[in-house]
Amino acid sequence: MDQVQKSSKAARGTVTCDNSTMHLLKANDFVAESIRKQMASQNTLMINITSSAGSGKTTLLQETARRIGDKINMKILVGDLETERDADRLRDVGVDALQIVTGGICHLEAQMVWQAMENLDLDGVDLLIVENVGNLVCPASFDLGEDYRVTLIATTEGDDKPKKYPRMFLTSELMLVSKVDLLPYLPFSVDAVVADARDVNPNIDVLEISSTANVGIDEWCDWLLERVEEKKGVATAAKV
Amino acid sequence: MHEISLVRSIFNTLEAEFSAEELGRLNTIELQVGLLSNVEPVLMQNAFEAVTTAENKFREVSLRVNTVPIEIHCADCGVNSTISDYKFVCASCGRPNNNVVKGMELLIHRVHFDEEAGAPLT
Repeated sequence: MDQVQKSSKAARGTVTCDNSTMHLLKANDFVAESIRKQMASQNTLMINITSSAGSGKTTLLQETARRIGDKINMKILVGDLETERDADRLRDVGVDALQIVTGGICHLEAQMVWQAMENLDLDGVDLLIVENVGNLVCPASFDLGEDYRVTLIATTEGDDKPKKYPRMFLTSELMLVSKVDLLPYLPFSVDAVVADARDVNPNIDVLEISSTANVGIDEWCDWLLERVEEKKGVATAAKV
Repeated sequence: MHEISLVRSIFNTLEAEFSAEELGRLNTIELQVGLLSNVEPVLMQNAFEAVTTAENKFREVSLRVNTVPIEIHCADCGVNSTISDYKFVCASCGRPNNNVVKGMELLIHRVHFDEEAGAPLT
C-alpha cells in the first residue's frame, strides 16, 4: 500500500494498491511456494496433470504406474468433485493414491494439496503426480507448487482447443495429444492442434499418445524419468 | 471461473489491509483483471452484488472491473507488443514469444475512500 498503516493516518481519497499484497490469489500462491520448497528439500518431482473431463488422465496414469511403478517410488493425488473412483482405479494398479474430493469446487487449490500431503507418506518419494479436476479453465490459474504442468488434449475434443483455453496451454510445459489411435475416425489434425498450441506457447513440448493402444507411452515415461533424474541431479549438485 | 470466492477474497484482502473505520468510508474498489485471468467482468459484478447482499456488507460500495490486454516483452528487440487473437508473436521481429508481462492480473488496483462516513465521493 502507499505507506498506509492501520496505526498511522487513516486512508482517505484514492489509494493505489501494491500489486503483491492485493493480488487475489495471494493465499494460493503462498501455499504453492511452501509446497515447492518442501518438494525441493526432499528431491521429489511434482507434476500437475490437467485436461478436460474424459481425455484420459487416469487411464494414462494407470498405464504409467504399470510401466514405471516398480522403477521409481511414485504417488498420486487425484482431484474430483465427488467419489473415490479415480483413486480406486489407481490403487488397482498398485500405486499409492489419495483422492481429494473438492465437493463441487472446479479446480484444485494449493491448500487442498497441502492438506492431502499430510495424509500421504512422501518420505523417499521420487515422483508426486497431481491429477487435477477435469477442466481447462480454472485449474490454469492455480499454481500447486508443481515443477511441470502437463495438459492432455484428446483427439475426440477437437483440434481448436488451445486458443479457446489459452492460459492453460500458455502455462503448460508439455501437451499430450491423447487417444491418437482414434485419429482415422475423427476430423482431428495433430498438426493443427500443435500449431494452435504453439501460437499461444512456442515452447510447449508435444507427445502423441494412446494409453489403450500403447502409442507414445514409452516416450512419456522417458520424459518423466529424465525429469525425476534431473531433480535428483539438482539435489546432488547442491549438496556438493 | 469462481467469481463468488474471488469476491470473498476481495473482502478478506481489504479487511486485512484496512481498519473497520476506513472500510466504513470505502466508496469504490477498482480491480485489474487480465484477459488471461479467466475472469468475466460481468459475472464478477453479479457475484459482487450477490455477496454484498447476502452478507449485508459493503452494500454502498461500487466495484469497477478494468480489463488489461495481453502484452509480451521481446528480449531481442526490447519491444513490448499487445497480443490479439492469442497469437503470441513479437510485433517487431515476428518471432514467437510467450514472455507475458501483462494480462495475467487479478488484483485490487485502487480503492477510493470517502472523507467521512456516509458522505459519498462526488
